[in-house]
Amino acid sequence: MIVGIYVVLYALYVYQQPRALSASAIAALFNNSAPLALAAAGQALVVISRGFDLSVAGVISLCNVTLAVYPMAGPGGALISVLICMAIGLLVGAVNGLLVAVLRMQSIAATLATMIICQGIALVILKAPGGTVADWIADEMTGRLWNAIPVSGLVVAIVVAVWLLIRRTNFGMAIYAIGADEQSASLSGMDTTRVRFLTYALAGVVYGLAGFMLSAQTATGNPTAGTPLLMLSFAAVALGGTSLAGGRGGLFASVMGAAVLMLLQKVLFSSGVSSFYTGVFQGAALILAVVLSGVLSRIGEAK
Amino acid sequence: MDDLRRVGETTLIATVHDAASTAADQRIAALSATGLRKAYGATVALAQADITLNAGTVHALLGENGAGKSTLVRILTGAAVPDAGEIVLHGQRYAPRNLIQARAQGVATAFQELSLVPNLSVAQNLLLPTLPRGPIGLVSSRRAREAGAAILARHGMERIDPTAEVGLLPLAERQRIEIVRAIENAGRVLILDEPTASLAETEWLFERIRMVTAKGVAVLYISHRLAEVREICGEATVLRNGNSIASVSLEEATDEDIFEMMVGRRLDRTSRHRTSLAQTAGPTRLSVKGLGGHGLSDISFDLRPGEVLGLAALEGQGQRALFRMLAGIEKAERGETAIDGMAANLSSPRRALRIGSGVAYLPEERKTEGVLAGLSAATNVVLPIMSAAAFAAVITPQAELSAARPASGKVEMNARYLSFAIGDLSGGNQQKALVARTLATAAKTLLLHDPTRGVDVGTKQSIYAAIRSFAAEGGAVLFYSSELAEIVQLADRCLVLYGGRISQTFEGEAIAEQALVAAILGHAPSARARA
Repeated sequence: MIVGIYVVLYALYVYQQPRALSASAIAALFNNSAPLALAAAGQALVVISRGFDLSVAGVISLCNVTLAVYPMAGPGGALISVLICMAIGLLVGAVNGLLVAVLRMQSIAATLATMIICQGIALVILKAPGGTVADWIADEMTGRLWNAIPVSGLVVAIVVAVWLLIRRTNFGMAIYAIGADEQSASLSGMDTTRVRFLTYALAGVVYGLAGFMLSAQTATGNPTAGTPLLMLSFAAVALGGTSLAGGRGGLFASVMGAAVLMLLQKVLFSSGVSSFYTGVFQGAALILAVVLSGVLSRIGEAK
Repeated sequence: MDDLRRVGETTLIATVHDAASTAADQRIAALSATGLRKAYGATVALAQADITLNAGTVHALLGENGAGKSTLVRILTGAAVPDAGEIVLHGQRYAPRNLIQARAQGVATAFQELSLVPNLSVAQNLLLPTLPRGPIGLVSSRRAREAGAAILARHGMERIDPTAEVGLLPLAERQRIEIVRAIENAGRVLILDEPTASLAETEWLFERIRMVTAKGVAVLYISHRLAEVREICGEATVLRNGNSIASVSLEEATDEDIFEMMVGRRLDRTSRHRTSLAQTAGPTRLSVKGLGGHGLSDISFDLRPGEVLGLAALEGQGQRALFRMLAGIEKAERGETAIDGMAANLSSPRRALRIGSGVAYLPEERKTEGVLAGLSAATNVVLPIMSAAAFAAVITPQAELSAARPASGKVEMNARYLSFAIGDLSGGNQQKALVARTLATAAKTLLLHDPTRGVDVGTKQSIYAAIRSFAAEGGAVLFYSSELAEIVQLADRCLVLYGGRISQTFEGEAIAEQALVAAILGHAPSARARA
């Protein structure tokens, strides 16, 4: 359903801006959406396992300032940078996993704490917005491969593809199982602690990628770069039809949810609606989508 | 008593063989536990428990709720680690730290509260935690489906689609799947905790049990239904207050002996009392005409003050929908309902409670529909009358306790338990609290969906007494029970639901177990039953 919404919205966008069909405009749209799409992808993992992860904002900010303060030139530097970002995400995710899965803290409390810590560290690294992300990253990661395929879209596609593989493993199935009924999952012989830990760690890695892509897009550092993505990542997950109560939903739908939110921004902008109203429309779209999907699934069940 | 204990000792003497020995010898101790003890803080759940399961036999575990049965099961499945005592499994020390280790050693359990993951398919649930892999190492849904279908076929359940989502199946089918999964994992010991709680007939289950015992698996069978236990089990261990009182051969012990061991006193057999028809003539409390929808059609009956009306049916004949419609949870599609002679629009449970003299509902599933596990038992009891317990809109724990006491007294619930979180109480006490909640509403009509499901003999008697005295005071009760004996004992009149319709009605002495069995299986009503 979320894909349908996107298509309709995109048609509207093209109608308003015929140039939107050009390769560069499409690439710009992908670049715009990629950070939120990745943040939503990681969030979806945690939400499916019945949890909430606020640390997404902290990880993205931390990655962003790291890349802006310690730029590394060239493709080799970019490779090291992306690995650093994923490592930061993995570390924070592992801490979240430890707190939630092993120490049994409530996920909101645990990830709120790690988010605050990360943002604190980000402020220590970079006091005020500034710095420059390495040119290679800022140019190549927002460019197009063979002048056609947007790199940012490719990164998101790889994450989704990896997820589709993971989903077809015992671990992938276990994420859904513990999201629906942790006790039953454990009585069915699953190691729920391990699954939950790995879920947070994996989500952290995806947030790291989101931070990397955001830095490529903005090309500069900002210690609060991740904050706007926090609530939007939940909105994207819910918009994609993933149940915030856990056990249902998917990564791709959440990515599409993110894409819809970002496209909505563009459509509003090209319609001449003041950007102050963007939030109002995004929120309304979220309510509409969730209500609509509820109605649709009820019709589906009635059949 | 002493005699019984001696009988128990003889069955306890068993030789320990190694795992390779065959099932031919019926007296091989598959599992033998001695001196098990487990305390949770100050509460001693299990004080001193000994039990020996012989390979290829079915052993019953009997005891009131709170006697320590669940704790013993938790220890055997690895969910709890005992403070003292040891277990020997096929000659080797057995001390599982978790369920996975227990399974690895061939001990598997079908849990009373079911442990299926609702959003996974039947096949996935049967194969958890490891699904078969395809050629490139990923989980193969085709192989999972085939393996699941093979398991279902092995147990005569081809009718179930292995790809169906478990959460959407009826309770009885879920229970069967839980049992099948345990059987598949039980190489040495199979533990069945209340396996028939949701099954209307035992034939299928007993066939499965005979199949596993033939392979030399020892079965521990936990049930409150003594008749059933006698049918399938050879011997029984009775627990009381955390102690194993005795292990007896069921052929030699009478029901009274067993009751005595369970409760420590002989049950006084209250003679069965039925309200005479003269008493029940007069206005109706609840009148239902042509009710339909949710699989039901043309349901009509009257419920009068002082009457206890039973509902007998196999699993899934529409009883759940009927109760939910009358309680205001689901909307009826056709038909009329009147309370105290006035047409009633049952749009919500809150509304049902307030129409006329009120209708209170006891839901079927205690865990998911009934208790609020984190709150105290007192809070759970007084929920519907919160405002009455409040002083200037402020509710103090003391006010709750005193408001909950009268209702909890009616179900003979120990007042000491009222301040405990209800989730920490035994199933029997939880059920008592829920029955007390329906009584506390002061509604004059009670809808009780399987009020004694999974509770022990003592609790059952308390709930029966509460229902009888409620009716004697002019209340009206409609109850469904999966146990026909209960309907025979309690009901003044009995409706039989079959295929969504009321197929027969029995009254007074015509309510007998054999007649009801025939009726719920859909046999045509005989002239005698119509009388």
